[in-house]
Amino acid sequence: MTDVTTSVVDPAASANSIGTLRRASFPAAARHAFATLRRGLRAGDLRVLALALAIAASVASGVGLFTDRVLSAIDHSAGDALGADAVIRSSTPLPTELLQKLSADDVRAVATAEFPSVVTKVAAPDKNVSVSQDNADEVTQLSSIKAVENGYPLRGDLLVSDEPFAPAHAANAVPPHGQIWVDAKLWTMFGLGNGAQLQVGSIALTATAVIVDEPGRGNTFANLAPELMMNAADLDASGLIGPGSRVQYVELLGASSAQIAALNKLELPRGMRLVTPKDARPELKQSLTRARQFLDIAVLMTLLLAAAAVALSARQYGARLRDEVALLKTLGAGRRFLSQSLLMQMLLLGVIAGGSGVLLGAVAQELLGRVVAPVLGVALPWPSPWPLLLSLGVILLMLAGFALPPVIAALATPPVRVLQRAATASNSARVSAFAALAAVGALLWLQAGDIKLATFIAIGAVITAAILALLAWVLIRILRPLRKRTGVAWRFGLGNLARRGPDTVAQTVALGVALLSLLLVTVVRQDLLGTWRNRLPADTPNQFLINIQREQREPLQAFFIAQGYPQLPLLPMVRAHLTAINHQPVTEAAFEDPETKRWINREFNLSWTNHFGADNQLIAGEFWTSADAGKPWLSIEQDAAKRLKLKLGDTLDFDIAGQNYSLTVHDLRKVHWDSFKPNFFMMTPPGVLDAPASADRAEAPVQWVTSFYLPKAAPEDAAGTQKNRNLLRELVRQFPNVTALDLDAALAQVRNIVDRVVRALELVLLFTLLAGLVVMLAVIEGSRAERVRETGVLRALGASSRVVLQGLLAEYAVLGLLAGSVAAIAAQAIAWVLAVQVFDLPYGPRPVLLIAGALSGCLIVTLTGWLSLRRVLNSPPRAVLAAAG
Amino acid sequence: MNHVLSRDDNTQAPAIVAEKICKEIISGGARLTILDDLDLHIAAGESVAILGRSGSGKTTLLSLLAGLDSPTRGDVRLAGQSLSALDEDGRAQLRAGRVGFVFQSFQLLSGLTALENVMLPAELAGLEDADQRAQDMLTQVGLAARITHYPHQLSGGEQQRVALARAFAASPSILFADEPTGNLDVATGAAVIEQLFAMNRSRGTTLVLVTHDQQLAARCARTVTLEAGKLVERSAGPRL
Repeated sequence: MTDVTTSVVDPAASANSIGTLRRASFPAAARHAFATLRRGLRAGDLRVLALALAIAASVASGVGLFTDRVLSAIDHSAGDALGADAVIRSSTPLPTELLQKLSADDVRAVATAEFPSVVTKVAAPDKNVSVSQDNADEVTQLSSIKAVENGYPLRGDLLVSDEPFAPAHAANAVPPHGQIWVDAKLWTMFGLGNGAQLQVGSIALTATAVIVDEPGRGNTFANLAPELMMNAADLDASGLIGPGSRVQYVELLGASSAQIAALNKLELPRGMRLVTPKDARPELKQSLTRARQFLDIAVLMTLLLAAAAVALSARQYGARLRDEVALLKTLGAGRRFLSQSLLMQMLLLGVIAGGSGVLLGAVAQELLGRVVAPVLGVALPWPSPWPLLLSLGVILLMLAGFALPPVIAALATPPVRVLQRAATASNSARVSAFAALAAVGALLWLQAGDIKLATFIAIGAVITAAILALLAWVLIRILRPLRKRTGVAWRFGLGNLARRGPDTVAQTVALGVALLSLLLVTVVRQDLLGTWRNRLPADTPNQFLINIQREQREPLQAFFIAQGYPQLPLLPMVRAHLTAINHQPVTEAAFEDPETKRWINREFNLSWTNHFGADNQLIAGEFWTSADAGKPWLSIEQDAAKRLKLKLGDTLDFDIAGQNYSLTVHDLRKVHWDSFKPNFFMMTPPGVLDAPASADRAEAPVQWVTSFYLPKAAPEDAAGTQKNRNLLRELVRQFPNVTALDLDAALAQVRNIVDRVVRALELVLLFTLLAGLVVMLAVIEGSRAERVRETGVLRALGASSRVVLQGLLAEYAVLGLLAGSVAAIAAQAIAWVLAVQVFDLPYGPRPVLLIAGALSGCLIVTLTGWLSLRRVLNSPPRAVLAAAG
Repeated sequence: MNHVLSRDDNTQAPAIVAEKICKEIISGGARLTILDDLDLHIAAGESVAILGRSGSGKTTLLSLLAGLDSPTRGDVRLAGQSLSALDEDGRAQLRAGRVGFVFQSFQLLSGLTALENVMLPAELAGLEDADQRAQDMLTQVGLAARITHYPHQLSGGEQQRVALARAFAASPSILFADEPTGNLDVATGAAVIEQLFAMNRSRGTTLVLVTHDQQLAARCARTVTLEAGKLVERSAGPRL
C-alpha cells in the first residue's frame, strides 16, 4: 500500500496524461504544469515553498518601497530646505543668456542676493512711540541682508511672527516694497515694532514682521549675524551693491527632475555652482543611510531564512517528484515535456506566491510609512517602480538558486526507479549546492548593493549560525539524559528532537536567528538606550551659549546669577585654520574620507585649559599641569587624531587671524560627548593662544562658550513657558551678539528618529521571525508522513489524543525553549559587546532576558507546531495499517 | 498476568464479536463496498487466521476488529465492549493494555530506543513496572544486549522481534498481527513466527492473524477467508 497523504503521484492524472505525454506539445506541458501545481498546493506539497517565496517577495518589496519613499521624501524636504528644486550660487549676477536659456527651458527662476551690511535704527518718527532701549538710535549692527524677488520661496515656507518668540505663521509673500522683515535678535536689539525703521544703505525701511524660519537659512556657528530680509525692488535704491561688493547671488529654480538632470549637464560659467536637493541635508541622509543599512541587514537575514525554507521544501518536493518522473518516463514522457512542465510550474508558483508577497509588502510598507512619516514631518510620495523590479529579481533568484535545482535534479530520475526505488540520478546535491551558493552571493549583492557590506554580512551570518548551531547541539546533548526521567509523552517528544539531531539544530538556528534579531532590538532600545538616557542627570545642560565676548563674561554671569542660576563654566575658544601637519601643507587631496576633507576646509575651534574634566579620558601621552602653561602643546581627541592621521609628537601649524601657531601633539584623549558639556577636539595649555599681544604677534581673537540647563516647561504650563521665553528674550536683549542653541529640540528629534527607525526595524524583524517559522514548517512538512505514521502507532497502542498532543507539544515546547535560550544567550553576548564598546555602559547578565527569550520562543514555536500538526493529531490509527503497505 | 485475568474474568465469552459489519468507501465518486454484512465471533484464547487475495479487505477487517477504524454499518464488540459506543479516545483507552499489535513494517517509533518502544504500551496502560516488563520481554526475544539501540540501528528481524516484545509487554488478551513476516526473508520470518506462536501459547492470548500465507494460516486454530467482501469459513486447523 502507498501512503496517499504524501505521494505526489496521482495515477488517474498520470493515466489521463498519457495521451498528451506522447504529443509532448507546449500546451500539453502547460496543462500538466497547471494540474500538478494545483494538486501540489491543494495537497500541501508546495504550500511551504509558496509561503517562503511570498515572505521573500513581501520583505524585499515592502522595505524597498518604504526606503524609496522615505528617501524621495527627504529629497523633497531638502528641496524645501533649499527653497527651490535647485539653486545656482554665484558671486556675480547670472548672465542674461543663462536667464534666457532657463526661461526658454521653462525653468522658473527667482533671484535673491545675500550680503553683509551695517544697519542702524532711524530716529523714531513719532516722539510718542516708545523705544525699548534708550540708546537704540546710536547702535549699529552688522547684519546679513537678504534681498528677495516676488515668488520667493519656490519651495517650503517662510515663517514670520508679529513679535519675537510669538506664534509663527506662513508669510505667503515677501516683504512689500518699503518694508523689511528681521530676525528676533535684530528686532530685540533695536526695539523694533510700531512702525520703527532701520537705515539700510541709503534708504529707511519699516520693520513689520519677525522672521522665524525660512528655507535655506544657515544653521551653523559661522552664520550667526542677525538677518534682515528686504524686497529686491528696494535694492537699487539702497545703493548697497556696487562694483566689488561681496555679494552671494542665489537664483532659486523651479524645475522638474528631468530639467534638473539637464541643468546638471549644463556647463555653467566659472564661479557659478548648481546645488540640488541631493547635495543638501547630508546629516539627515547619513542617518537614514545608516538606518537603511540596518534595515538591509534585517531584510538580508529574512531573505536568507526564506531561501533556506525554499531550499528545504524544494528538496522535499524534488524527492517526491522522482516517483512521478520515473512513472511518466515509463509511460513515454520525454525530457522536454517534463522540463517544460516543471519550469512552467515553478514560474507559475513564482508569479502566484511572489505576486501575493509583493501585495503584502505594499501593505506593510504603508504601515511602515505611517509610523515614520510623522517624525520626518513630510508626506511620503508614491514610490518608484525600481523596488518592485528588485523584488522580481529576488523572486527569480529564489526560484533559480534554491527551488529549481532539486526539481531539475528530479528530471534526471531514471525510469527504472519504478522497479528499484533506490535508483536516482547522481551529482544533484553538488549542483544544488553550487546554485544555492551563487544565489546567496547574488542576493547579498543585490540587496546590500555593496560588496564589502555583503561580505561582512555573509561572514557575520555564517559565524552567528555556527555559534547558534554549537549552542543548540550542546543543549540537545544536555537534554538527552532527561528523557529517562519523563513520562511517555515527553519521552516521545524529546526522543524526536534527539533523533532528528541535524534537523533540530537547523530548526533551532533558524528560529534562533529570528528570535535573536527581535531580542536584540528590544535589548538595544529598552536596555541600552534606556540606560544611556537615564545615565544623563536631570539637569544635563540643554542650552549652549556661544559667541560670548571678553567684556561680556562678567555681565553674563551676573545675569544668570540674578535669574537664580549657578556660576556658569565659561570656556575660551579661538577659530583656527589648519595649514600644515609636520610642516607639510595640508590639502584635502591627502585625505580620502569626505568628512575629513570638509574638516580641512573649515576652521577648527581651539581652547585651552590646565585641567581636563572627568568627561575627558587620557588615551596616550599625559595631561599637562599648570606648571606647563605657555608650552606649545596640543591635546587631541582620539577620533580627530584618527581622521587626521596624527600621533604623539606630530607638529600642527594653525593660522589664527593671520598669525601662525606651531603646536606639538602632547596627548590623545577620549571625550564623552554625551556629557553635553562644552568640549573641544583640540586644546592647548593656558598661555599659548591667549598670550598677550607683543611686538611680533597680535592677540588672538577669543570668544567664550558656556552651557546651562533651562528647566523644560510642559506645554500646558503657560507660566513656565512664559518664564523661559522671557529669560531668552531678555538674554537676547542684553547680549544681542550671543547666540543660544537649544539642544533639547535637537536631542528630541534624534531620539524620535531613532525610536521610529527601531520600530520600523521591529516590523521588518517580524518578517524575519515569520521566515524562521517557515523554515520550521518546511522541516515539519518533511517529516509529516513519519509523524502521521507514529501518531497512528501511538493511537493503535492505546494512546489517547491527550497523550499524543502532549508528546508533540513537548517536542515543540522544548525546541522553542532551545531556540529562545540560544537566542537570549547570543543577545546577551552581543548586548554586552555593544554596551562596553559602543555605549560605554556597565552590563551584567540579565536573567529576565534569558527567561523572556526562552518562554517567548517556547510559546511561538509550540503554537506554530500545533497549528501545523493539528491535522496529524486527528490521523485515524488505520493510517498505520495503510502505511504498512 | 493477574492484571489481565482480572479484567477478562469471563474467559468463556467471545473476545471479539463482529455483527453485520459493512465497510463502504467513496472512490472516484462511486460507492465501493469492501466488507458486506460480515459476522465473525472469535472466542477468548482462540487463534484465527484471515486469508484473502490482495485488495480483498483483510487489513480493513483487522482495523475494524481492533477499533482502528469504524464500520459504515454494524458493530464490533471487543472484550465485551461495543466499539460503536466509543469515540476515538475511548477505543484507544480500550486497546491500552488489552490489545497488542504486530505490523508488517514493524512500526517502531524511530525516536525511541528498543527499550522505550517496548515500554510504551505498558506505560499507556498505566502499569508501573513498565521498565522491568520491557527488559524481560526483550530478554525473552533475545535482544537484552540491544535495549539502548534505536530502530535504525537494528536489522529487520531484530526490529520485528522488538515489535513482538512490545506486543506482549502489557500482557494483552488479544493480539492482532498484520502480515508479520511480510518484510522479512524466509528464515528470519520463520524464526519470528516461532517466537510469536510460542509467546502466544504461553500467555493464552487471542490471536487474529492477517496473512496470505496458507502455511502460516494453518498454524491457527481457525481460518477464515475474505471473498468479495464476504467471509468464508474454510477450515479449523490444529489448535497449537
